Amino acid sequence: MSASKTVAASGSAEVIWTREPGERRQPGIVHVVMLALFMGIGIVVGTLGSLAIPIGFVSAFWPGQAVQAVGGVWFGLWGVLAGMFFPFVSNALSGSAPLPVSAAYLPANFLQSFLAGAAFRWLKADPRLRTTRDWVIWVVVGVLAANFLGAFWGTYVLAWFGMITQSARVTALLGWFFGNSIPSLIFGSILLKYVSPMVLRSKAFTKGWWA
Amino acid sequence: MPGAHGGDPDDLTEAQIAKKTLLGMVPADSPFYGYHPVSRMALLVFLSVTPLFIDMPEINLGLILATLVLLRWGRVRMQQVRRYLPLLATVAIFMFGVAFLAPGDRATLTPFRLFGLTFYFEPMWWAFVSYCRLIAMLFGAILYFSTNRERDTLVALRSLRVPFAVSYVAALSLRSAGMFMEDFKTIREAEQARGLDLESMSLREKARLYTMYTVPLFAVALRRADEISNALFARGYTLSGRPPGGGRRTDYLRRKYPARARDWAASAALIGLFALVVVLGKTTGILSDHLSPLRAAAAGAVGLR
Repeated sequence: MSASKTVAASGSAEVIWTREPGERRQPGIVHVVMLALFMGIGIVVGTLGSLAIPIGFVSAFWPGQAVQAVGGVWFGLWGVLAGMFFPFVSNALSGSAPLPVSAAYLPANFLQSFLAGAAFRWLKADPRLRTTRDWVIWVVVGVLAANFLGAFWGTYVLAWFGMITQSARVTALLGWFFGNSIPSLIFGSILLKYVSPMVLRSKAFTKGWWA
Repeated sequence: MPGAHGGDPDDLTEAQIAKKTLLGMVPADSPFYGYHPVSRMALLVFLSVTPLFIDMPEINLGLILATLVLLRWGRVRMQQVRRYLPLLATVAIFMFGVAFLAPGDRATLTPFRLFGLTFYFEPMWWAFVSYCRLIAMLFGAILYFSTNRERDTLVALRSLRVPFAVSYVAALSLRSAGMFMEDFKTIREAEQARGLDLESMSLREKARLYTMYTVPLFAVALRRADEISNALFARGYTLSGRPPGGGRRTDYLRRKYPARARDWAASAALIGLFALVVVLGKTTGILSDHLSPLRAAAAGAVGLR
């Protein structure tokens, strides 16, 4: 099992991401289990979110992106893996996209999961969103940049599978971007603000990418 | 202890015992369970990927029909499938709406008038072709998740010798999705018991309520991660799936579900058929929409040769 220490709830943003002297962190069963459970949550959130407002292939309301982003922040590459693969099942269950379309979305799902995690680690931001700087990093990278790149690739996939015409790409991109950014901003911010303190105290939290 | 109908549980016939899948309940004597999980996974690959290589809408419509027949044959409650009807309608409106509003370079397209509006044949036809293909692929996945439990997926992956960590994560994620859906239902039913009326709520209110549900779900997940990882550690599980002392771990599930010759034959036939479609689709034009009788009829109706 991992011998990792949990992060003190009162620690500063710098402390959250920095290893203490003598601290040993390595991937363990808890990370694999968390990966599976996080995928499970993603499946539920993605499926129910899509079924609540059944717009179909264009995700006008898809809180799943918030799960992807916070997964990368809390659980590093385990969260990124979960964010990449849970849409395969949630899209199939909700009827949002069949398996081949979900496979084509993989690069977008990777970026939507990875960007926030990378920004929080490299810029040493606090996942509990305690300062204006933390909020700016979250909103600019985790919400706006991630959703723009996701929408850019996603609309390319939509056109590739004949779901939209090429001339409708820009309109679809804007619809996708704003439609996804709003639930991501609200839902993701709530998760970071209120769930991060619990995650930071857990063994599954990863300071680096794998542990 | 008496059964649900008051009798002895041994008196229950197989048909009265249902298996719980991710999308609902299926009687345990469903003909699907006569086949090994590997065969059912091969059916998933066949039904949900094959339409990708087929442009002719008649074939994809045939696959949709075949999937519906399989759902009925498998004794899946059609109510489970009916929940997708609004989605099918909104997707059609979206796809045909886009083809109508943003058809592309109008100078190169064939216009036709309908209900006093000008449509363009090529984008409308391609929207139809793509719609049939996507719905066919979607129904393949719906059939799989309607008739298979997470245990079936696990058995299929183990039988295909997928590494332990991958098969474990896949199975636990599906299992935990089921558990979280139960938790979600419990929270919602508790609120409904206290007077929550979902019908009268606006979309905005529903979205806000939905967000509030997820915070306890995450708290439960963190606790479960600890409990499950401790349990696995206590049983000597490692990431490689091999016992710490060396040797091979006995695979109880795989032994419980032996694959017969019929199962391997069914799987091979489905995968072979899939490969044939891919080869035909890539090397010949016989699956192209240009050979579609429906296209000929539609083109004739709008005066296109």
